[in-house]
Amino acid sequence: MTANVTDLKPAVCILDWNVSETNPQGEVTRLLAAWSSGDQSALNKMMPLVYAELHRIARRAWSQHPHSNTLQPTALINEAYLKLANAENASFQDRCHFFAVASKAMRQILVNHAKSRLSGKRGRGLANVSLDDVQPAVHQEAAEIVALHEALEALHNVDPRKSMVVEMRYFGGLGIEEIAEAMGVSVATVNRDWRLARSWLIREMKRESP
Amino acid sequence: MNPPPAWEEIERLYHEALELPVCERKALLARASPALREEVESLLEADSNAELLAAPPTHVAADLLDGQPGGLAAGQRVADYEVESLISIGGMGEVYLARDAAGRPVALKILRSHLIGNAQAVDRFETEARAASALCHPNIVTVYESGKSPAGLFIAMEWVDGSTFRAIMDAGPVEIAQAMNWGGQAARALSAAHTAGILHRDMKPENIMLRKDGVVKILDFGLARHGGAVGPERNSMGASGTISGTLSGTLLYMPPEILRGETATSASDVFSLGAFLYELTAGQHPFAGETPLDVFEAIECRTVAAIGSLRNGVPREVDRLILRMLDRSPDGRPSASEACEMLGGAGQ
Repeated sequence: MTANVTDLKPAVCILDWNVSETNPQGEVTRLLAAWSSGDQSALNKMMPLVYAELHRIARRAWSQHPHSNTLQPTALINEAYLKLANAENASFQDRCHFFAVASKAMRQILVNHAKSRLSGKRGRGLANVSLDDVQPAVHQEAAEIVALHEALEALHNVDPRKSMVVEMRYFGGLGIEEIAEAMGVSVATVNRDWRLARSWLIREMKRESP
Repeated sequence: MNPPPAWEEIERLYHEALELPVCERKALLARASPALREEVESLLEADSNAELLAAPPTHVAADLLDGQPGGLAAGQRVADYEVESLISIGGMGEVYLARDAAGRPVALKILRSHLIGNAQAVDRFETEARAASALCHPNIVTVYESGKSPAGLFIAMEWVDGSTFRAIMDAGPVEIAQAMNWGGQAARALSAAHTAGILHRDMKPENIMLRKDGVVKILDFGLARHGGAVGPERNSMGASGTISGTLSGTLLYMPPEILRGETATSASDVFSLGAFLYELTAGQHPFAGETPLDVFEAIECRTVAAIGSLRNGVPREVDRLILRMLDRSPDGRPSASEACEMLGGAGQ
């Protein structure tokens, strides 16, 4: 039985903090198993746990490596997986399912962060040099993430599976095979989905940003 | 009326076309209905341009972490400077208040280490250091030194004890005479830079400061000549596959020729300064709009109202001068030195 990942609602709507946080590891392992056996609601229950853990990891990574220059969203997700899931007993499929959820959580985290950055949250008002405006490498990427997020929502209405493929590949850094496993489709299908989705998104984003 | 083509049809034809050599696609598409053909053609066009999504959003992820305050600790040394406190964090790096060997305050700008591998960011940082250190003017922030240190690339510059004009205007209206004096000083700095052959390219209230003793200081001279930061690119996908421009805050001060993708000239700086002066004297922005698109349209089409229609006490020549600075045609604008003269910009 392959669960349908496209049924996942966006994280913002489903952050349900009532989920037991006392033992996130056991909880995530149990939810992964429940999902594999067909319980659709397991995914949405897993989401806040994964979201919170990704945030914690990000904060700790900062305190340990203040100038880390190889920070990949995938690395954060990997770490969350090791922390949350019982890696020893988990199947490849469980792992792919976890990554599907984590990609969604990562998307939400990055989009939220990008939005707050773009809204000009600048901290103190005594800036000597307005660095925010110097080279907006991050700003540009933040704008791109928000634009992509919106285009993905639009794509979700046309073809939910394709938007999911992009989410897992771009925000979660998953490989084509892992995506195929998580979605229960062939590698060829994922490749085709990815190609069309990318063209569709580029076209959509150009229309939005003349 | 024909119904729009079904998604499945689009998908099938798109993949079918992709499998053909480019020269044979046209014949295939010619057999489809016009609506379907248009859909698939536009998708194929996007496909040939697909740098987007090529790399994970590493900058923002790293920024998320770096958003936690404080890259450098108080007391830490960068070259000959001792860090005192963090002043601001931005996309490029951090600015610290630091002390030089003699104990004098300096502003220390550090390029974030995760951007050091980004050639464009490094190039831009170095361009800024070079351009600014070539300028020596009382109304331009002085760069003392730039270089490399284990903490990253750094620029040590004059510490300005004051606030940006963004903060000043946010705090409420300013007196006309005051505004003219400040505007005159800014125009004088710009005129000196233009005489030296250097453009600012990003004049806006965030980049102009007022020191506590009343001296205006312009920051961030000489932005890079490439990349999407100065003007939105014609093709909205930049070289790095990012969507550039329209969301960055600089749009409000961009002259129409930059929006059209033309090269910046000294007249472009004059336009941006004019938009700032208008905002400073009138108390509202000449091209304010709800969305970036509204702003685009305003810059390209809106007839700017005379400041006198919004506020009393603005000398007619100054009103006219500012409107001329905002002329849609670069040729119709005064030079920075002319603006400076008319504002009585001796800079007392």
